[in-house]
Amino acid sequence: MLDSFVLDKDHLLPLLRKLGKDYRLIAPVRNRHGDTLFTEIHDLDKVEIDLEHQPQSSLKPFFFPQVEVLSLYGLDRDAVSGATWYSFYPQLPENRPTVYFGVRSCDMMAVMYTDMIFLQSSEYDVYYARHRENAIFITIGCNRPFANCFCNATRSGPFLEHGFDIQLTDIGDRFFVETGRARGVRLRKQWSYFFRDAAEEDKRAQFQAALEARGLFSRLVHVDLVTRILARQKEPTEILAELSARCQDCGGCAYICPTCTCFTIHDQALDEDRGERLRTWDACTFSGFTRMAGGHNPVDPERQRIRKRFLHKLLHDVEHHGRTSCMGCGRCVDICFGGVDILRFIEMVSENETEPEETP
Amino acid sequence: MILDPSRYVAPGVSGPQGFKPIRKNIYLPVPAQVREILEENALVRTFVLEFDDPLVNQEFTYEPGQFMMVSMPHCGEAPISFSSSPGRAGSFALTVRRAGRLTSAMHRLRPGDTIGVRGPYGRPFPMADLSGRSLLFVAGGIGLAPLRSVLEFCLDNRDDYGEITLLYGCRTPADICFADDLEQWRQQGVHCLCTVDEADDTWSGRVGLVTELLPEAGAEAASWRALVCGPGIMIHFVLSRLVEMGFPRDHLFTTLERHMKCGVGICGHCFFDEKLICREGPVFSMSELGDTRNL
Repeated sequence: MLDSFVLDKDHLLPLLRKLGKDYRLIAPVRNRHGDTLFTEIHDLDKVEIDLEHQPQSSLKPFFFPQVEVLSLYGLDRDAVSGATWYSFYPQLPENRPTVYFGVRSCDMMAVMYTDMIFLQSSEYDVYYARHRENAIFITIGCNRPFANCFCNATRSGPFLEHGFDIQLTDIGDRFFVETGRARGVRLRKQWSYFFRDAAEEDKRAQFQAALEARGLFSRLVHVDLVTRILARQKEPTEILAELSARCQDCGGCAYICPTCTCFTIHDQALDEDRGERLRTWDACTFSGFTRMAGGHNPVDPERQRIRKRFLHKLLHDVEHHGRTSCMGCGRCVDICFGGVDILRFIEMVSENETEPEETP
Repeated sequence: MILDPSRYVAPGVSGPQGFKPIRKNIYLPVPAQVREILEENALVRTFVLEFDDPLVNQEFTYEPGQFMMVSMPHCGEAPISFSSSPGRAGSFALTVRRAGRLTSAMHRLRPGDTIGVRGPYGRPFPMADLSGRSLLFVAGGIGLAPLRSVLEFCLDNRDDYGEITLLYGCRTPADICFADDLEQWRQQGVHCLCTVDEADDTWSGRVGLVTELLPEAGAEAASWRALVCGPGIMIHFVLSRLVEMGFPRDHLFTTLERHMKCGVGICGHCFFDEKLICREGPVFSMSELGDTRNL
């Protein structure tokens, strides 16, 4: 049973100010170009925290930066024999305690997914772990889903039942507050004078908001149906080929996607004998993603370049992890100028299918 | 098997969670020194390596079919299979064909130079399941390298295995690797048959595809096990032919090659359908592979 409280809206900034003293504070901030991006806040009085628009970026870059130095390397040469000695010096990132405020359900679910990828028991990614280990998440439920959202169909929103430290629901002049994981409980207790216990009417207002939100999705997206079709039937090679032909190789969908975690590792020389080993985001849609030394490529970029992307998210991850790795945030719909987004794929695959969709 | 204990990292977190176990940095290569370089042919060299740290060297173990991620300065990393038998402790061998930037840099190495390695990674050949069986090896070109690891392991434990036959096909006589080993294996009782696609003046042996040698292998479909490695298309045809000859699919093993970055199932590069080759492979039985046309 989750404990519930109320935070008056005029208590929000004072609370964040308090938190800002102990934690690095990251929240969706609307910048002067009109973009809403998760941003580190240094001075709460100089920025506009934006809870009205969907953040264009997810939290992914904070835990898995687009470019990250894994280690430095150096080459020493023996003056006599000329033999080389090659050594590595790991560079671990900082792990400052951080509060992520205003996180949407889909992005929180995405963090739980990337945790599974990077912190799986056999191989543990220390770089991701360092970014991730001192994070606290204050999420906010979506009373009004955004235009391309379909988290109802991927079961990753618009409200969370677990995973958050603190979940807020906007109920007019106040937030309904649920504490989830231990860090959220502790944080609420530590600053208890900002909160008051939720009354029956607050609980009713939250229930009403959560219920209404489910009815406000503008798109009907048959995610489960498509997973079943892909598992049961022959691969839709023609649809994949048609969409592959329209892909422009930009990688935007993978970069903006909160659950795309593919990366490449490469070296950047600093001088003849020193350099940095970097990890950089990669995308399975890039033509060179699977190309081997010598030129052989087991994936035909003309017809198959988007195959792994869609099958991975909608089929393979269901087989491996029991759920899709698409969280229904809809960001790839806006970013793709070729119209090769996951919604298009889902629509094309489910278009002529008559099987009735189960309603959750 | 964990490399070099001195290179562990502590997350160094003080705070609500308290003490956390120390974790290894999976991306950190350790130095290994080139002891010996053997020229297999114009494009292929075998590097015999040992760790600089004698303790690591002593404790390091691997199994046939596994691979190492090899680092070269300014070139990043590439996966390379072991070509040596793990029974011969103290060093390990990687056989490398010059194909891209990293492998070209490796070909410029001299004995005494160090490279970076991490591993071993991947699922090996099921040596325990193969014991007591007669084995048919079918290799194409540089594909003999990972099978050499198995073959020498079998020769090191000769009593555990029955008959051993090797069918080896190369494009031209100049592409043949491990020529000295082939001779030695013959002397040790391995039935070796070689063929080339295109002969030249130096070649007096068989000409044709390696699949044409299959009927002569003397392998009994019901009791033998077959291990196949080479170019994807060759693997496909050999496996298909063996199935036609009556081999059950789960008695046929191959090892696949893919572009890889992490080696531990995170980076996503080495997918084959829903599998990641670095973690679920690189060794697969044919029954696990499904469609083999695009290996």
